[in-house]
Amino acid sequence: MGAWTWIRRRWRILFRKADEERELDEEIRSHLEHEIRLNVSLGMPPEEARRRALAAFGGVERFKEEVRDVRGARVLGDMVQDVRVAARSFLKQPAFLLAVLLTLGLGIGGTVAMFGIMDASLFRALPYPHPDRLVMGRITWKGQVGNTVSGPDYFDYREQSTSFTDLGAYMPFALQATVTGDGQPQRARYILASTRFFSALGVTPMLGREFTPEEGENGGPYGVILSFGFWQRRFGGDPEVLQHTLTVNGTAVPVIGVMPQGFRYAVDVDFWLPMQRGGDWASARQFHNFVLVGRLADGVSVQQAQADVDRISASLQETYPETNTNVGLNLTPLKEALAGPYRTTLNLLMAAVAVLLLIACGNVAGLLLARGGARRSELAVRSVMGAGRGRLARQLLAENVLLAVGAGAVGLALAAWLQRGILTFVSMDRLGRVEAGLSLPTLAFALALSALTVVLFGVLPSVRVARTDPAADLRSGTRTAGSRSATRFRSSLVVGQVALTLVLLVVSGLLLRTLGALRGVDLGFDARGLLTADVQISPAKYQTAEARVEFFRELQVRVTALRGVKSVGLISRLPVRNPGGNVRVDLPERFGSAGVFGKMADQRTVMPGYFAAMGIPLVAGRDVSLSDDGNAPAVVVLSQDLAEAVFEGQDPLGRTVGVDTGGDEPTRFEVVGVVGDVVTESLSGGLYPAMYFPYGQGPGSTLRLAVRSETRAAGITGEVRGALAELDPDIPLSDVATMEDVLSRSVSGQRSLAWVVSLFGAMALLLAAVGLYGVLAYQVSRRLHEIGVRMALGASAGAVTSSVVRGGLGLVLIGLLLGVPASFLAARLVRGLLFGVGTTDVATYVGVAGFLGVVATLACLLPAWRAAKVDPVVAFRAE
Amino acid sequence: MTARTELLQGSLDLLVLKTLDLEPLHGWAIAKRIQLLSRDVLEVNQGSLYPALYRLRDRGLIESEFGESEEGRRVKVYALTPKGRAALVSGEQSWRLFADAVEAILAAG
Repeated sequence: MGAWTWIRRRWRILFRKADEERELDEEIRSHLEHEIRLNVSLGMPPEEARRRALAAFGGVERFKEEVRDVRGARVLGDMVQDVRVAARSFLKQPAFLLAVLLTLGLGIGGTVAMFGIMDASLFRALPYPHPDRLVMGRITWKGQVGNTVSGPDYFDYREQSTSFTDLGAYMPFALQATVTGDGQPQRARYILASTRFFSALGVTPMLGREFTPEEGENGGPYGVILSFGFWQRRFGGDPEVLQHTLTVNGTAVPVIGVMPQGFRYAVDVDFWLPMQRGGDWASARQFHNFVLVGRLADGVSVQQAQADVDRISASLQETYPETNTNVGLNLTPLKEALAGPYRTTLNLLMAAVAVLLLIACGNVAGLLLARGGARRSELAVRSVMGAGRGRLARQLLAENVLLAVGAGAVGLALAAWLQRGILTFVSMDRLGRVEAGLSLPTLAFALALSALTVVLFGVLPSVRVARTDPAADLRSGTRTAGSRSATRFRSSLVVGQVALTLVLLVVSGLLLRTLGALRGVDLGFDARGLLTADVQISPAKYQTAEARVEFFRELQVRVTALRGVKSVGLISRLPVRNPGGNVRVDLPERFGSAGVFGKMADQRTVMPGYFAAMGIPLVAGRDVSLSDDGNAPAVVVLSQDLAEAVFEGQDPLGRTVGVDTGGDEPTRFEVVGVVGDVVTESLSGGLYPAMYFPYGQGPGSTLRLAVRSETRAAGITGEVRGALAELDPDIPLSDVATMEDVLSRSVSGQRSLAWVVSLFGAMALLLAAVGLYGVLAYQVSRRLHEIGVRMALGASAGAVTSSVVRGGLGLVLIGLLLGVPASFLAARLVRGLLFGVGTTDVATYVGVAGFLGVVATLACLLPAWRAAKVDPVVAFRAE
Repeated sequence: MTARTELLQGSLDLLVLKTLDLEPLHGWAIAKRIQLLSRDVLEVNQGSLYPALYRLRDRGLIESEFGESEEGRRVKVYALTPKGRAALVSGEQSWRLFADAVEAILAAG
């Protein structure tokens, strides 16, 4: 025999082995059939004939091994063969393969995507040197952790504490400025940051330096540190930028540094200005505008540092009882503090995709069982012939491993794509750089997950199929073959799927109700047909109060004159759109006693006509007027709740309130009007007390326009812009948006979460419905004979239909019963994300369960109708 | 009661070739045919028959294809190849030589 022939033959043996195995099986089966038929013809009863034939044949598996030996094909072992057989059998059923790969792939992809996001946001260390040494410092009020610390308190903590190598402070919200000078005027975002803020984080500017202690003192030199992006955009990446100045709100500020590319902390900004002791935003202890970030000194634990700052807090309380009673500082590891707010959302999404994956595994397990059922005669013959159960289970396992590997690959491909989708939906801006990407841990997770899915959907069915009694299978043929246990298994899968689906749907239902509740919030003003925009004047150009008032008055007149415009309001901060800016207010005589903090209320400056334009009712007294200027008595308009809280039911008009403006004594204002309350902060924050001062008595550089038009609000943007340009071409109309968009954007986080979870819920529902349908269709096909008999005996089509539907709905009911308590638990876990709806909201539970029931009934009806159409004659012939 | 005997080592291949020389057959029929022709003296152990068939096929002495049995069932039918026919001829000759020799020895004496 030539070498070539030899190789060819080995090749053929190795790679055609599957075919030959099948041929061998078939040959043996044919042999046994002949033998049995002969025995029967000799007068043996069928059982005896079969037994004798098998006995005569001898140990089949041993014999097959002999055949294989003859063919010299045990070289590559069983594993390769198993995989090859599996791959081949899958390719013959592309629809099955596609269904499994897509179902599992989506499940794995979603879970891997979420894991990647959690890894990047919760698990991975912050991108700063020795991130475990970083802590965040936030105010506590009677032990409750709040947010911002006052500037003066920060300086005391920094100077008196011994636990930090660096303790910095930053504003957690961005400010807006108009930037002029080299190039076009433009709006830019910035925050104030303290000396040592950057060094606490351990990041040094790539050009220049950070703020010096002198720059951190009031009246000290001023400098600006640029972000990499702004340096590129505004200065074209000019390496000589340190020789330039940046004109911020009309003041030229020397550029002292540029931060490296990718540096981003807490707030996205274009540049940083120095926080100055006693300067803007840091002038008084009752103005809380800063969050602290500290780097612990070597060997100092968070607890030790906490004890250190507690000591300082106590002494501050003693020295400044008016402002600091019950006030403290909480230190939290920075990672925990930054990621904390996202934890619930991320956990929820992770749980949702995991549930989806579980349901998908359930369906795939069901599919495999059904497929296993169709293959039982093949498996039974092999088993009778002596193939060990372990051998058969291994074969099935090989198929499942192959499926899982395929699904894992599909999942990984989808994961990168899903991740980007989820990240655009679920913004995590406080964490800085959470980028889509598949890190090593994520890949490892994907691998582990694929392996887990094999166990979930693969091992149980394999064991089950392999464990069936082959003799029984052969005896009874393929029709009812020992599949009762498989059916029971599939039924329990369906019960589990229904329960999990209910949980997902309940959570999504509660989130949707939250969204509805937010939409339905009484704003206190009319948001329809309202266009909003920022107008910031240059303080250098409009120096006097008169000039500023005159500018905005003229703007108001011109915009009001535009066609379609009904009215125009101007205010320093529009409700919801520009939150923040609250101070203490109370009767002047109540100030000064320790621990009395008065009422907190938002302070706003308005031009006359604002309330009318916004549709805020004037309850008593009058609107502010143009004659309320610097020479006139200081006046204020209070919101109704605030007037009620301060004057306790007495008529506030003509009375005086004291407002904490940072000095030793409160500033006094005469109350001239009372208006309705509005939602100022956020839709979930509810109505918030506010006080309105006439713009003429406190003219800042920025006012916000609220233009009420008869037509579509966005349609008049061009005209408003034109009117402003006519008045002063140097002032940009910025941040233009309709109030409805602003409101919608303010709940975009809740909305995307609700939709993403609802999408998962819908997918789960679909999968569960398919699973239910599969089980019933399988049962019906298995019971064709029985159904045929019953119908032949006179059972009506209706009775058959309802018996099938009853069987299916029974499973659904058990699933729902299990799902309700699980949903209660899940709802409690996400209650922090809910608004305006309780965790046990009956309407949601009933509605969701009803909806699930309807879909489940539909899934039951299809197989039921098929059962009702069974023709007894056909059913018998199928024997 | 018919006396039955085991096949001598190596003789099964020859019997299979001879059986197939008469007409192509499937596995079970080969076994039955041998049993029949030997007047039930020789009973072919199935455990040896199929290895023998595969061995012969791999040596190119017989070939197989799927056909129909008398009952119309799909069966694998084996047939002799020209190479197999030549092997049968030489096999017959050596067997007769061998059998005569054995007979001669047994007859002596």
